[in-house]
Amino acid sequence: MSEGRVAAGEAVELVNVSRWYGNVVAVNDISFRLDGGVTGLLGPNGAGKSTILHMIGGFLAPSSGAVTVGGSPSWRHPEMYRRIGLVPEREAVYPFLTGREFAVANARLQGMAPPQAAEAAARAIGLVELEDAADRPIGTYSKGMRQRAKVAAALVHDPPILLLDEPFNGMDPRQRLHMMDLLHQMAAEGRTILFSSHILEEVERLAGRVLVIVSGRLAASGDFREIRRLMTDRPHTFTLRSSNDRALASALLVEPTIAGAALDGGLLTVRTNDFGAFSRAVSGIARRNQISLHELLPTDESLESVFSYLVRR
Amino acid sequence: MNGVIARITLRQLLSRRRTLLLLLLGGVLVLAAGIFRLAGEEARALRFTAGLLSNLGIGTLMPLVALIFGTGAIGAEIEDGTAIFLLAKPISRATVVLTKLAVAATCSAALTCGPMLLAGLIAAGGLGEGLVVGMTAGAAIGSVLYCAVFVAVSLVTARALVFGLAYVLIWEGLLAGLFAGTRTFSIRQLTLSFADAIGGIPAAVFDAPLSLATAVVVAVAILVIATVIAMRRLGEYEISGEAP
Repeated sequence: MSEGRVAAGEAVELVNVSRWYGNVVAVNDISFRLDGGVTGLLGPNGAGKSTILHMIGGFLAPSSGAVTVGGSPSWRHPEMYRRIGLVPEREAVYPFLTGREFAVANARLQGMAPPQAAEAAARAIGLVELEDAADRPIGTYSKGMRQRAKVAAALVHDPPILLLDEPFNGMDPRQRLHMMDLLHQMAAEGRTILFSSHILEEVERLAGRVLVIVSGRLAASGDFREIRRLMTDRPHTFTLRSSNDRALASALLVEPTIAGAALDGGLLTVRTNDFGAFSRAVSGIARRNQISLHELLPTDESLESVFSYLVRR
Repeated sequence: MNGVIARITLRQLLSRRRTLLLLLLGGVLVLAAGIFRLAGEEARALRFTAGLLSNLGIGTLMPLVALIFGTGAIGAEIEDGTAIFLLAKPISRATVVLTKLAVAATCSAALTCGPMLLAGLIAAGGLGEGLVVGMTAGAAIGSVLYCAVFVAVSLVTARALVFGLAYVLIWEGLLAGLFAGTRTFSIRQLTLSFADAIGGIPAAVFDAPLSLATAVVVAVAILVIATVIAMRRLGEYEISGEAP
């Protein structure tokens, strides 16, 4: 891979972009600019991540606002694809082509002559470690291998901008680590890489910068550690069942880590600012008050609840 | 035209199972001709061949083959998501449409005209006073027209196969037979006019209902309109994101 690929003109920029389908707003007034490095597009399923990637990739027109790649609008601008490598989320790849034929076809479609296309395909297949299966039909590939074939096809023309929609789907842990190293290396060479994921840990490991999308809105953006801190600072909610919920609620409320407790329909719900301290202390509190603890469940640990918290802030 | 897209489309369309199925369909035509020849009714040879090629060849085989290739040329890729690999390239979408159309029409013409030529030669015991050549050449033109329409329909609706079948069965099979006016917009009738004109078939053997001039004008209009619709639809094609 050549170095210093990204010139100032290779930035991806969204300015006040919205996209709606009929009355449904999929993306709501989003603005950001990317010019180098790895950025993670994080959000629950259905948040609008793919819509944003499709608009940048020229497959969706924004309903309002502007999406530009290298200063030119992405919609109806085929020349843009010389600068973009696109890895779609959908799994389907031509099953009758071998991995090598697929990569060569993508290189040829980028305008390369046959010898250069073969060379570029071999290089891209090597980058994704698909050499052993390169001459087998893609129809015989596992999900992870198909994913790597798609990445190889996106890399054949050595693009300065890479867009990847859920790129780690179907990859085993070793393949994930390899792909993350590869993306890190390409970002270090100056490329702009934007990838979407609904898995927090994937984004944490790969992206220096994140864009958190919730219900079509940009809920948070910036350095991952800062956003992660906001996520861990939020109150946690537990539900408890015990031999005496009322007495347990009274005992818990005197603890400094408890932000609130409520008895509703025979279910005790407790909010705490310190997940770890509460988890460690609750059994001791119950024992000291001679209360039998039957059940203790965290209720809001889903990614969606973390995102919802960020939106409410 | 783009050679890489053409080769991918060709391999996609000529999958083993699909090709075998369509060859079997063409085989029915050849089989019918063979049975007639074995029956030894030499005096009826030309009229039988005309009926066989116009009804079973142009009326049934040609639209079915074109329907499968026309709707599968690009509609299938849009359906399964592989179209993105062609569209995310520095190639105009008009080039994609024209290439796909050319490949679908070539495949359709080959798998229609081959069996028709063979069946015609067997049934007529030769070229049949221009009948076999005329019908075969007319079917080649008809295949192009049908493919243009079916490629366009596949870019307008996800139920292209249903709409295509409805057009062939209801419009061409039923209405064009009942009302003379509707024949002008029947690709089957246009094809028969071309067949008649190219082969110079004697009126006693076969007489097409539409004049050649009308057929040329309507065929060009259908080809241009269908192709423009297909290019516009692919030009505006969007991949929707996930439902919010």
